[in-house]
Amino acid sequence: MSAFIPVLYPALRKPDPKYYLSLMQIQLDQLLPVPLKDKILQRKSGIWNENIVFNPGSFVKIKAPSGTGKTTLVHYLYNIRNDYTGKVLVNGKPWSEYGRNEIAFLRQQQLSVIFQDLRLFEQLTALENIELKRVMTPTPYCTPEKVAAMAARLNVTHVLHQSSKTLSYGERQRIAIIRALVQPFEWLLMDEPFSHLDEENTRRAAALIAEECSARKAGFILTDLDDDQHFAYNVLYQL
Amino acid sequence: MASLGLGIAMVLILIALQANSDFNQLLYSDKNQNETADFLVINKKVTNSMMGQPQKTVFSPEEIENIRRQPFVQASGLITSSKFKVVAQAPGELHFATDMFFESVPDSFIDVKEEEWKWEPGNRIIPIILPNDFLNLYNFGFSLSQDLPQISQETVKALPLQIVISNGLISETYTGHIVGFSDRISSFLVPASFMDWANEKYGAAGTAATASRIVIKTADPSNPTLVKFLDDHGYTTNQDKLKFSKTRVIVQTIVSVIGFFGLVLLFFALLVFSMFIQLIIAACKKEIQLLVTLGTAPKQLQRYLLKQFVPLYIIIGIVSLLIVVALQYQAHLVLARHDMAVSPLPAVWTFAGAVVVIALVYIVNLVTVRKYILQDQ
Repeated sequence: MSAFIPVLYPALRKPDPKYYLSLMQIQLDQLLPVPLKDKILQRKSGIWNENIVFNPGSFVKIKAPSGTGKTTLVHYLYNIRNDYTGKVLVNGKPWSEYGRNEIAFLRQQQLSVIFQDLRLFEQLTALENIELKRVMTPTPYCTPEKVAAMAARLNVTHVLHQSSKTLSYGERQRIAIIRALVQPFEWLLMDEPFSHLDEENTRRAAALIAEECSARKAGFILTDLDDDQHFAYNVLYQL
Repeated sequence: MASLGLGIAMVLILIALQANSDFNQLLYSDKNQNETADFLVINKKVTNSMMGQPQKTVFSPEEIENIRRQPFVQASGLITSSKFKVVAQAPGELHFATDMFFESVPDSFIDVKEEEWKWEPGNRIIPIILPNDFLNLYNFGFSLSQDLPQISQETVKALPLQIVISNGLISETYTGHIVGFSDRISSFLVPASFMDWANEKYGAAGTAATASRIVIKTADPSNPTLVKFLDDHGYTTNQDKLKFSKTRVIVQTIVSVIGFFGLVLLFFALLVFSMFIQLIIAACKKEIQLLVTLGTAPKQLQRYLLKQFVPLYIIIGIVSLLIVVALQYQAHLVLARHDMAVSPLPAVWTFAGAVVVIALVYIVNLVTVRKYILQDQ
């Protein structure tokens, strides 16, 4: 089991048609992280403790200084943390009411993510990390050629067959971006996705992301420390 | 280690199943039909208080019916004794004459299958079956002490005996022809058709046929119920035939013990496997969590994890089966040298047992994987 290379079978579960009928809406209802509660209540926040609706297809930028719960918010939105009061509603239903299979389905089909800490499998090569995600869906959304094209655009073709452990943080960041883009989604969550990229690579990555979102008619929620002009944002929030 | 344990457990269980099947085969299959084992001659014990009262050793119709009704009795036949006097004389210069008697049993109980074993009214030749013991007594006891020649079976069969049958009024001479020797029933047997006819013709009028010996066919002379039945009713039979039962009980105990150890080992192997899986899941907890984070469905994870183990079980199952096949073939060869036939291939039950064990291991794995995957999320 040293090489934990999952050759995952297509999920047995058939996609539930109801997910296709409406575009995925994300809604925050008085969301407040328990660990940051006191700190947040002392100041004004555009997100915490508010009622907010992220409309399908919109490009959302959330600007936040360090320590205000940027990553926490992304984790709440992606439902890997739940130490909060209030609710995160997905299609009108709070995360807590979703079952494991439904969550897995959403993560395969409608919700993609680029973590700040990237979360690649270190024991796999860069390409294997991407492939793992690509073949997780019953029918892969992207072809291997498409993956190669994206890698070429982000200048990481030469590292695809290297173990992800040996890559630089910037290279890993681009692999994580490609991994997030090989699946179908309606929302893409990004947590400081360009933190370790130079200007040129940031521009290329942003262009690729914008293209892929438009192709899917998908929206994204991006959190970052500063203002930027990488995308034509529809909505801006201050955390 | 767990694989080795499972392998040993599986081999033991399969051997136990196979040994049981072989044992049954040795006991009951036609190829190994052991005459002394299957037929018992039952009679009442002759005690001091019964001496001089032959009617006390006669089975009443109710008693016969009761014996017939017992579950271990597959078939039963009355041994009919002759109601006339018989004198046998050897031909030529042997100068040998003896008073004797005849008995008959239904033909299906005769273990000497001879073409000559039939008689119709008008035939002057009577086929006779002698007990093997009788010839041995003669050859090794009587003839040596009397300075008479020993006689081979073939010679006995070739000798025409003069049989004089009489009832005090009439006396007739027939030719007796020995057609075979029997181990099953220690008596001088003639065909039932002759006996009925002769009893009718020479028998004292008014004496109904009575039976003081019954031959029964039983699948299992070692059956404890049978032994108990005989004891309870004061019947006796050839005790030697019942001794076999002890051997059988011992063998079956050994087989059961092997099977029991197999089961215990299987239990531990399952336990170890289950812990092994827990360990792997614990060791890969981070990876599993990341997979779940990336959207891997529980079913996909489960399939993946099971895919790591199931081929191993299949391989263990196949290897164990091969070992048992080899052992069985070896047993077949060894037993064949002793004229005991067992099938060269393991029984269907053995294969079924292997499938059941693998299924059991799979189920335990599935349950473990499910439990711990769900717990981890």
